[in-house]
Amino acid sequence: MSAGVSKQSPAERLFTLTCCLMAAPVIGLSKNDIFRSVVSYAEQQSDSAKEKMFDRDKSDLREMGVQLEVIDSNSFEETESARYRIAKGSFDWPAGFEINNEHMTLLELAAKAWNNQLLSKSAQSGLIRLRSLGVVDSSRQLSAFTPRLLAQQESFAPLADAIAEGKLVRFSYRKSTGTTSIREVTPLKLRFIEGQWVLLAKQAREIKNFLLRRIVSEVRSSELSGESVSTAQVDEAEAELVAFVTKNIAVLKVEQDSEAWWHFGAKDNGTVEVNFMDEALFAEDLMEFGPEVQVLSPLSLSQRIDSGWQRVLDAHA
Amino acid sequence: MPKQEIDAEDLFNLSLSIVGLVLRDGPMSSKELALHFGYSEKTVVRAVKTIANSEDIGRFETHFYVDEELLEKGEVDFSAGMAALRRPPLLSRRQTTALAAGLDFLAALPQFAGNVALSQIRSQIGSGTIPITILAAPAREETLQAIQQALLDKTQLVASYLNQLGEKSERDIDPLRVDYVGRRHYLRGWCHTNQAVRSFRLDRITKIENTDKPVSEAALLADVPLEVFGQIENETTVEIFATQEASEIFWNFPAIDIHRDPEGNVTGKIQVGSLKALGRHVARYAGQARVLSPRSAVEAVRQFALNARSGTLGPEDQD
Repeated sequence: MSAGVSKQSPAERLFTLTCCLMAAPVIGLSKNDIFRSVVSYAEQQSDSAKEKMFDRDKSDLREMGVQLEVIDSNSFEETESARYRIAKGSFDWPAGFEINNEHMTLLELAAKAWNNQLLSKSAQSGLIRLRSLGVVDSSRQLSAFTPRLLAQQESFAPLADAIAEGKLVRFSYRKSTGTTSIREVTPLKLRFIEGQWVLLAKQAREIKNFLLRRIVSEVRSSELSGESVSTAQVDEAEAELVAFVTKNIAVLKVEQDSEAWWHFGAKDNGTVEVNFMDEALFAEDLMEFGPEVQVLSPLSLSQRIDSGWQRVLDAHA
Repeated sequence: MPKQEIDAEDLFNLSLSIVGLVLRDGPMSSKELALHFGYSEKTVVRAVKTIANSEDIGRFETHFYVDEELLEKGEVDFSAGMAALRRPPLLSRRQTTALAAGLDFLAALPQFAGNVALSQIRSQIGSGTIPITILAAPAREETLQAIQQALLDKTQLVASYLNQLGEKSERDIDPLRVDYVGRRHYLRGWCHTNQAVRSFRLDRITKIENTDKPVSEAALLADVPLEVFGQIENETTVEIFATQEASEIFWNFPAIDIHRDPEGNVTGKIQVGSLKALGRHVARYAGQARVLSPRSAVEAVRQFALNARSGTLGPEDQD
């Protein structure tokens, strides 16, 4: 060990390890190369302590987006002959990836929306990384705007973890018809649509949407890796959802000058057309306005609301 | 206020990010870096020392040469020795999930409809390019614009407001900020009628006008509480049962004694300012949320459903 090198902090160890791996030749570094290069490993008294520390660091680096590759010609398992390197391209930002001040303001708002909840730390650390791309001033226009995400469903955190780790998950899902079934899916994306969190996930061969509020069991993550899905497939599934919502139209009659009138922006005769994603959820929104809203079409929505009122009366007899 | 504390993961991330910025834009002061990254100068110096202390002891080589003397004077400058590291790695999947979900959330807000910059950054971050449907009425956007202008000009607003009991009033409001919580916009402002900070739902503002009057001294000194429902006076404690799907009812009120059974059903107590307004909050769940007590609250929900079913406004709902 060279003189003058002080004891490293965990951050210094991770940083040095990353630097060593980045500077490695194409064939990567052996475990012994790494243990000789990074002072914290060299200082460990036993081989098992070095191994333990290295295992933890590999996992931390991967979690933070450093794509560590293991090359082992003798086995599919990681053995003593394994060599380590950083995947080509994992530090290469796409050409033309630029953030202007409007983008930065929006990213700051997106991170701020987490308001110390679940993914707040990840959003902030992502923002720090993006700030390394250059100094831009954020826009003053939106500084007084405070968006706040509410991601209180218990399923949110395990689903976000599974997306990050690319794992398969299993949960019970209750459809609006009341039928419940077990689903095994590869979670792809969490989206916020019309006030609801929606999971975009691949089940068998199809990409489907699941409302988080209808997940009625614990989300169990499997050790198995999920299926890979291309960006184009995700885009296509999202476009299908938009097309579906565009097709779902309700015609409502709202009471003049009532809260519903203002809420739906009614004009003249009080008839408004509104798109909706899910009939059961839309019925809930309309029921909140009580007698101020009357559904002219579709009939299924009108009937759903009528039976809803009956269930409220039965529950409050 | 800059964050003072930082864990190993964030310090590592900050060090990588400082490498990227300084190698890209050249030497900077620790003060500038602190401002840019939102950390204290002390934390920036720790991150720079992390960069400095990255020697490869096997090869007796240094990855980065940090000018320690300049660092003492508050200047951050370094050169890459044998380092191949030039910038931080691409965003991790978790960072992408967090930022993409936040951007999706923004894309669902009326004021960002058709926002080109949002569409560009969503596409770059992996949030998607597909526009999200927005149900809000165009009038809401006009209201938002009036408020945002008043916030920038620091001037008072005059608003016609319809509260949840259907009562109309004219309010002089000093705007403090706009919150979007869950799925609703709220104007948080100093209400001159109540001489206190109040929350006003944007879809209940029926008319709004900017004035030239500057916001009051009291407004400038006021604290805006985190929760939009604020202080409830003369509250009634109502016991509620909700299925798992309807359990979000507890997020909308101050709630206590929450118990979840193995099936996910939730029982708990909420504090309600007006029983008359309770009906709508409970009835929307079509029987999946049920008032257990007091009897007056059960009756309030029942009356709301009876009026709604018959399509008539109850006498108490009319102005």
